[in-house]
Amino acid sequence: MNYLKKPTLLIAMMVSLALASCKSEDPVPENDEELITDVTLRFTEVDASGNAIGTPFEFVASDPQGVELGDPTIETVELVKGKSYQMEIFLYNSIADEDITEEVQEESDEHQFYFLGTAFVGSPVLTYTYDDLNGEIIGLKGQVEVAEFPGFNNANMRIILRHDLDKNFPGADNPNFENFTQAGGETDLDLTFPLVLN
Amino acid sequence: MILLFGSKTTFAQKCDLSIRGRILHQENNDPIEGAYIWVIESATGAVSDENGNFIVKNLCQGEYHITIQYLGHKEIKDSISLSSNNFNKTYRLEEESLDLGGVEIHGHRFAVQTTTAVTALYGEALLEARGENLGESLKRISGVTTFSTGNSIAKPVIHGMHSNRIMILNNGIRLEGQQWGAEHAPEIDPFVADEITVIKGAETVRYGPEAMGGVILVNPAPIPTKKDPKTNIYLNGGTNGRMGNISVSHADGSNKIKGLGYQVQASAKRAGNIKSPDYFQGNTGLSELNFSGSVGYSSSKLGVEGYYSYFNTTLGILRDSHTGNLDDLLAIIENGRPFSDPGFTYEIINPKQVVSHHLAKVKSHYHLSDTWKLNFQYGFQTNNRKEFDKRRGDLNEKPSLDLQLFTNTFDLFVDHNLKNEWSGSFGLNAIQQANNNIPGTGVTPLIPNYDMVNLGIYAIEKYSKGPLELEGGLRFDARSVNTARYVDSELQEADLSYTNFSAFIGGLYQISPKVTFNSNLGTAWRPPNVNELFSEGLHHGAAAVEIGDPDLNSEKSLKWVNALEYDGGRTHLEFTAYANHISDYIYLNPTGETYVSLRGTFNVYEYLQANAFFYGFDFSGSYVFTERLSAYAKGSIIRAKNTDENNYFPFIPSDRMDWGLAYQFGSLKNSQTNKLTLSNMLVAKQKREPDFDLAPAPPAYALFNLAYQKKFIFGENQLNLGIQIQNLFNTSYKEYMNRFRYFTDDMGRNILLKINYQF
Repeated sequence: MNYLKKPTLLIAMMVSLALASCKSEDPVPENDEELITDVTLRFTEVDASGNAIGTPFEFVASDPQGVELGDPTIETVELVKGKSYQMEIFLYNSIADEDITEEVQEESDEHQFYFLGTAFVGSPVLTYTYDDLNGEIIGLKGQVEVAEFPGFNNANMRIILRHDLDKNFPGADNPNFENFTQAGGETDLDLTFPLVLN
Repeated sequence: MILLFGSKTTFAQKCDLSIRGRILHQENNDPIEGAYIWVIESATGAVSDENGNFIVKNLCQGEYHITIQYLGHKEIKDSISLSSNNFNKTYRLEEESLDLGGVEIHGHRFAVQTTTAVTALYGEALLEARGENLGESLKRISGVTTFSTGNSIAKPVIHGMHSNRIMILNNGIRLEGQQWGAEHAPEIDPFVADEITVIKGAETVRYGPEAMGGVILVNPAPIPTKKDPKTNIYLNGGTNGRMGNISVSHADGSNKIKGLGYQVQASAKRAGNIKSPDYFQGNTGLSELNFSGSVGYSSSKLGVEGYYSYFNTTLGILRDSHTGNLDDLLAIIENGRPFSDPGFTYEIINPKQVVSHHLAKVKSHYHLSDTWKLNFQYGFQTNNRKEFDKRRGDLNEKPSLDLQLFTNTFDLFVDHNLKNEWSGSFGLNAIQQANNNIPGTGVTPLIPNYDMVNLGIYAIEKYSKGPLELEGGLRFDARSVNTARYVDSELQEADLSYTNFSAFIGGLYQISPKVTFNSNLGTAWRPPNVNELFSEGLHHGAAAVEIGDPDLNSEKSLKWVNALEYDGGRTHLEFTAYANHISDYIYLNPTGETYVSLRGTFNVYEYLQANAFFYGFDFSGSYVFTERLSAYAKGSIIRAKNTDENNYFPFIPSDRMDWGLAYQFGSLKNSQTNKLTLSNMLVAKQKREPDFDLAPAPPAYALFNLAYQKKFIFGENQLNLGIQIQNLFNTSYKEYMNRFRYFTDDMGRNILLKINYQF
């Protein structure tokens, strides 16, 4: 049985070699770099000719866990009837400590905000106009006019950020485009701020 | 006893006796057709039929000497004392040694020795399937369907089971990729195969855990053992997706060293956006580049083989199927088709998958004696899967999922084909696996890093006597899994272990030369997969949060398969019926809850266990009306129920059948193929739907296909020409088993040209 010994030895060697050579590595924690954990709306009152007046004020929606059980915290937006504001949106990833606003600005051709909810559609209490850098249509910066005599004082501001959409789709340049899904792409943000008008 | 019946009848009976028997290959137990059996005393003989059976009739009581001869095999001499009509013996013919001139040596193939239902795809049927992926090719076998994600990702489904519940063997090595994912196609190039075999029984004992629903064997042609150069070129083109596909293989043996041979093969494939009847599906192209090679040596005692295969694919994923949240998903489902129609392009953008798979193996066998053979096989695999999503800026360059899986498989077993009725094998099998998430994705990994070791020992024994074969086997497995990952920056580790006994018993009986019946009852098990244990997080694109359960038990199944085969002159019929009870069947259940985030809402799914009962049947048959006209039909019916909840599981194939007529043109004298086939595929609506689904099951559909196949022979060379029109009437339809039915219609008309040249 001499022939048995050699293969057995060879096999034993190969197996021990193979088993030793591949062991899983220690895991490395990953930061979710894409996540947007904080959405800040900054309002600055403007006069009739569009010049800023008064001090800016902010409302924040935050979800430090990302997609997990537990609803995000969303502040109530308070605006004054009959006034006009400049509204800027800031996006931040607190997990990876990254400013997402810049990234969205850089990929201006792929991103666009839509403004829906009872505040903007139906009998709107707010009127939104895109006012981004270089006349682009993104929604990071825009003008919001509050109705002087709104039908109601409480409403919802639904803010949607679409990614990879077809900006040339008919109607896609309307900030209150309800059929935004038809322009293709996917949703990066879809959140609703409660609105109170004083 | 005999005397009691009076002398006259006794005399008549005495010379009405028969010698029955069966002739098999010593090497692999395959039946030998055309072996010559000669009874010296009576000077009569017989030739074994295609099942290896023979019968020599009209013999009287007494002593006989028989010889059994078959070209290239050692003659068998046996003396028989014939006293009753019950004589029946199995003979195994051994191949002659190499030095006899002109003798073909049997390539040492991974033969399937099973008593359970087996169907194979080879020859002309495989030729017609060339250019399709593995899943699509296997659809040609009744009882096999696909679970697909669009048109380029198709996972084979055997009797309602897929992914980790079936096993795919690439040249004898169990394919280890990330099979758990619904959108993870098997990492194998069907051009590797010369024959693709589907075993429909539970084959855990032979092949190890997870072979619960069945096994798919992708086997290359045997490596040549003498100088005989052969080259095979395949050129395929398809109008839909403007697909182009080439495969070249070459095999030869050595002149100098007898028994030495090699084989090399490479294939490439490129396709662009698929067209549904009314629109293009954005970003559905693919590109594939594969290679395989093997070297083998065989002598009468020793066989050694080395094999390497490489598979590399880039698959575009339908852009619109990647949704941001539940509202997005529901919007496209309501729309019933993609919002975008980007026209045709070969360009593949995100979302996409880039997958590469290396498989290397060495295999050796040594004949310890005429009847005992020692086998050794070692396989090494590495699988790298990168999935890219549509992300922001530089993140688009980074995969969202980047997994590297290493697998070592090791088999050592002894085979015996005794001179008498017994044959079988005993062995041990080890699988060792390491899974890594390659850092730098910027996404919390879906599954942890892990190490897995599985050890199994088994014994299978088979008794063959004439038309009867009985087989039984036992196996014990132990598996340990160690996982590690970070959850909210805390290291979380788990050590899990599973053990299991499995067993099977099966039999095959040749009721008559035309009718065979086989039955197989086998247990199988499958430890929970790592994704079922530990998934936690957003399944991007599916708008779903999937939550695993580390306390899941192993699934255990008991499957009973019965097959009846009739092979008459004009009629061929195969009927397979099965029942499969699975305890602790693991499934993904919608909880009805949603997660709310700044990104919107998501459905939450959790992994649960329940008792399941699957049953159904497959049939296939053909009938030759005239020399020119023939017809075939095949179909399958599956029922699968959650017996705890008394409801249905999702993604179980609906009832379907495929039938067609074939007409042979040209001269009937040379049997060269020159055939036109019109076929019709009928698929019913899946009425047994789960309680929750994102969209109702799509309606029933009927497709027509037309195919023309012609063979030209030029001396030693052969040219095969095929033209196929799939979905002849450009019908818009959705298949229930395609996950993209939520987003898009299936593929429209496709005209394919398939050229094969063998020289």
